[in-house]
Amino acid sequence: MNQMKNKNLIELTNVTKSFQLASGTFQALKNVTLGIEKGKLVAVTGKSGSGKSTLLNILTGIDKPSSGSVHINGVRVDTLAESALASWRGKNIGVVFQFFQLLPTLTILENVMLPMDFCNSYPKKERKERAFKLLEQVNILEQADKFPSALSGGQQQRAAIARALANDPPIIVADEPTGNLDSQTANSIFELFAQLTRSGKTVIIVTHEKEFSEFFETTIAISDGVIINSELVFA
Amino acid sequence: MKVLRDITSDYSKNFMLVLAIAIGVFGIGSILGGYSVIKREMTDNYMGTVPASATIEVEDGITKELLDSVKQFPGIKEAERHATRVARMKVGEKWYPLLLFIIDDFKDKRTNKVYHITGEIEPATGTMLVERTAFVVMQAKEGDELIIKTPHGQPQKIKLVGTVHDPGLAPAWQEQTGYGYITLSTLELLGETQGFDQLRILVNEQSDSKEYITEKAQAVAEQLKQSGHEVHEIQVPPPGRHPHQSQMTAVMTIFIVFSFLVLILGSILVATSMAQLMVKQVRQIGVMKTFGATSMQLTGLYIAMIALLCIVALIIAIPLSMLAATGFYNQIAILLNLEIRNNAIPSWVPLLQVGSGIIIPMIAAAFPVIRGSRISVRSALDNHGVNQLNLNKNSWTVKLSNLSFLSETFRLSIRNVFRQRSRLVMTLGLLAAGGAMFMTAMNVSAAWNENLKRIYTQRLYDLEIKLNNTIDANAVIGKIKNLSGVNAVEGWNYSPTSVSNANSFEITQTYPDKGHGSFTMLALPIPTRLLSPTVTEGRWLDSSATNDVVLNQTARGSLKIGDRVSFSIDGKPTDWRVIGFTEDVGSPATAYVSLDVFSKLTNTNGSVKMLRISYSDRSQENAMLKNSKVEALLEKENISISATIPVWLLHNAIAAHMKVIVNSLMAMAILMALVGTLGLMSTMSMNILERTREIGVMRALGATPDKIRNLVVWEGLFIGALSIFIAIILSLILSSYMGRFIGNMAFRTPLSLTISTLALGIWVVIIVVGSYLATIFPARRANKITTREALAYE
Repeated sequence: MNQMKNKNLIELTNVTKSFQLASGTFQALKNVTLGIEKGKLVAVTGKSGSGKSTLLNILTGIDKPSSGSVHINGVRVDTLAESALASWRGKNIGVVFQFFQLLPTLTILENVMLPMDFCNSYPKKERKERAFKLLEQVNILEQADKFPSALSGGQQQRAAIARALANDPPIIVADEPTGNLDSQTANSIFELFAQLTRSGKTVIIVTHEKEFSEFFETTIAISDGVIINSELVFA
Repeated sequence: MKVLRDITSDYSKNFMLVLAIAIGVFGIGSILGGYSVIKREMTDNYMGTVPASATIEVEDGITKELLDSVKQFPGIKEAERHATRVARMKVGEKWYPLLLFIIDDFKDKRTNKVYHITGEIEPATGTMLVERTAFVVMQAKEGDELIIKTPHGQPQKIKLVGTVHDPGLAPAWQEQTGYGYITLSTLELLGETQGFDQLRILVNEQSDSKEYITEKAQAVAEQLKQSGHEVHEIQVPPPGRHPHQSQMTAVMTIFIVFSFLVLILGSILVATSMAQLMVKQVRQIGVMKTFGATSMQLTGLYIAMIALLCIVALIIAIPLSMLAATGFYNQIAILLNLEIRNNAIPSWVPLLQVGSGIIIPMIAAAFPVIRGSRISVRSALDNHGVNQLNLNKNSWTVKLSNLSFLSETFRLSIRNVFRQRSRLVMTLGLLAAGGAMFMTAMNVSAAWNENLKRIYTQRLYDLEIKLNNTIDANAVIGKIKNLSGVNAVEGWNYSPTSVSNANSFEITQTYPDKGHGSFTMLALPIPTRLLSPTVTEGRWLDSSATNDVVLNQTARGSLKIGDRVSFSIDGKPTDWRVIGFTEDVGSPATAYVSLDVFSKLTNTNGSVKMLRISYSDRSQENAMLKNSKVEALLEKENISISATIPVWLLHNAIAAHMKVIVNSLMAMAILMALVGTLGLMSTMSMNILERTREIGVMRALGATPDKIRNLVVWEGLFIGALSIFIAIILSLILSSYMGRFIGNMAFRTPLSLTISTLALGIWVVIIVVGSYLATIFPARRANKITTREALAYE
């Protein structure tokens, strides 16, 4: 177990997440324990309401478990205060949303620079240059000065990925990043994610799209708040 | 059911909406409620006294027989004899002016009636009734004794035996004068031998026509003249107009303008709030449309929702506005010496409130409601939090925020400010209007204070003494000059005057208080050391030998430089050439002429009837001390004083006149500031509510709660700063207009544009604190919800 822990970038131990609803307590995650190694491209699959989004929220520190512990890159994140958690997240996790969620009042370049400003992660003078490099990496450099509304869905998602990479986080988490894109564009996005894992990033993606399963090295299948593919379950 | 559930599901938001409507309705109700009562009561109070259409002043006493004959004169409804005497009263160790009204029959008064309040109805010989506002000036109460000195008598103690209310007079504390009502026998006891020398008449018809009244008064005067009575003057004050009517009209005009502004601002607030509500409802609209709801049905649904909120706002605002209106008219009534006899606010006021409180929010909200209801199903359901905007990188807002030293967070704040331009315009409109009003109120007040200071720069004397008889100027002036601290003394002369007309009767507009509407000719030595007039056109008197006249703005009328004009002095016409016009502060209509020419015309060479004295130390304390010494000297010299007018007293009296206007402006400004801050709070709440998901995204990207709070607070402060800039420009325009309007309307002197740095400072503080408070709460709310909730927000 200890040996395994040393290899894992992400470790969840006995994580349970409950929500209080009018109808009673709902357990979205039930005593989940799992570990994810560095540099992997991981798929999280499951039906709607299975708990995959809750798992993603726990992994990113967006939500806290009701019980259990979450260690990421050696830090126990479930005990961090909101302010510390935000800073930690900015530096360690890049988040990519299904609907891109680029800020409409900032240009693509400014959107990419924003996380660096939030986390004060690079000297001010270097931020622009870094943002340009990231945009070049995701192949939309020529769109840098445009506002999000002027870009296609695929281009916006590439910009969102560049933004997620802004602070050079070791982990990228994406919630159905291709759910709103055509299959050709989706394929190019998955290729981009695969490329990132090759450069050492750990990428965790929630997806329904089985046709892209070839990209994934590991799959976490969730049903009713429980991980059902046993190779990732250590408890 | 949905309407009720929507309303009860978010109390704080709907409370804001109700508050927005309620403030507008409250503003209208309190202003118009107060205005309607004051307007009615002012007319009722004044007309209730049955003000005389005209007063004819004659040389000798008016007998009962003469009075009866005037009553028979065609076109004359009523006639009454009367007398007014300017005396002095001793308050502490100082003498103040006292206006004595000598009444023929207290129990059967026919014109210029007074309302009995307490004590005696008819004062016995040696006693006096007092106008209710004069006790403060007298520092006395009913039952006390007051030392009074008439021009020809010795100081005598007179008992104050009753209190009356005379709505025809400005409050005594405003004029710094006492008002007393006595019988002719008391006047005789005080050492005066005069009889009733004023004949007050009421015309039968056309009582509101000044021309008709003048014509009738002249006809009566002609008859008096033919029967051997010398007529001095005919006084025809503006018919049916209270002495302070012009001030009141000025104030009320401002109130109406302000109340409309409050109404417009309130409506803007409602529109802003409704747009906010619609933002929240977009997804629900999509769902309802999916189930078959039409745009019309949805519009009806939200209109019903607004109607319900309006009703709640009206239920809160109407009773509160009635209370505010009561406080408001009571305050104005004190300032104008009015008694509110009927305090009912006319029914059209609450009806107007109901109408405006429902219709205007409906109209204002119609645009966001219709736009929201007509949104397509796909757009509504596709609303995933972070809205797409069509920004252009060449737009000035983008360029403005592209300044290299700005951080991305601050850049975001600036761009967010301009994100919803129509909402920004509304918020800026609210804040800027509030700021402009606030600064205008204080600027006008400062301008008035500056104007008041001119009393001291124009009047280089500290004490004016009017004498009962002409005296040898040189003998007295020398003695006064020898008093320590006396800087200069000049002997002047004066006479009530009027433009001579064909019938050779002087016709003035003087009110019974002898101050309002009077016209005086002031004869002064050329050159004078004690007057520094502000000459607006032509030139000041520079020759002591020519019949030149300089008129102040009140006396100017339609005269031009070079015109020849005839003024009546003691009933005799005298010819003058107009050489200049001045702008005086605090003077009635005045014609300035050379003392030498005046003396020749009146055969008073070497004699004067007025002394003007200046002291080296111009402070009020010193002036009060020195005035007593000068008066004591004159008493020792057996010189009979008619009236003493210290300049500080005049300054205070004029300052009191302004109180009405400044207080009203300030009250309005505070209301506006409140509406403005609420508007900012509403806008910021809406901006943040709309961007809840966006805030979640930023937190997911690593923005700490502090960063989010700063982002929001900077946004609010930026809006506040923009509004200050606009408010300053607006306030300059408004202050200039208001200064001209108020100055001309009330005192015929436009107020110079004065910028109150204090007002600007206070407003900046209000806006900074207000913007901070308006944004910190929405920012806290935004930080309170978890990142997960923010991201899930729809």
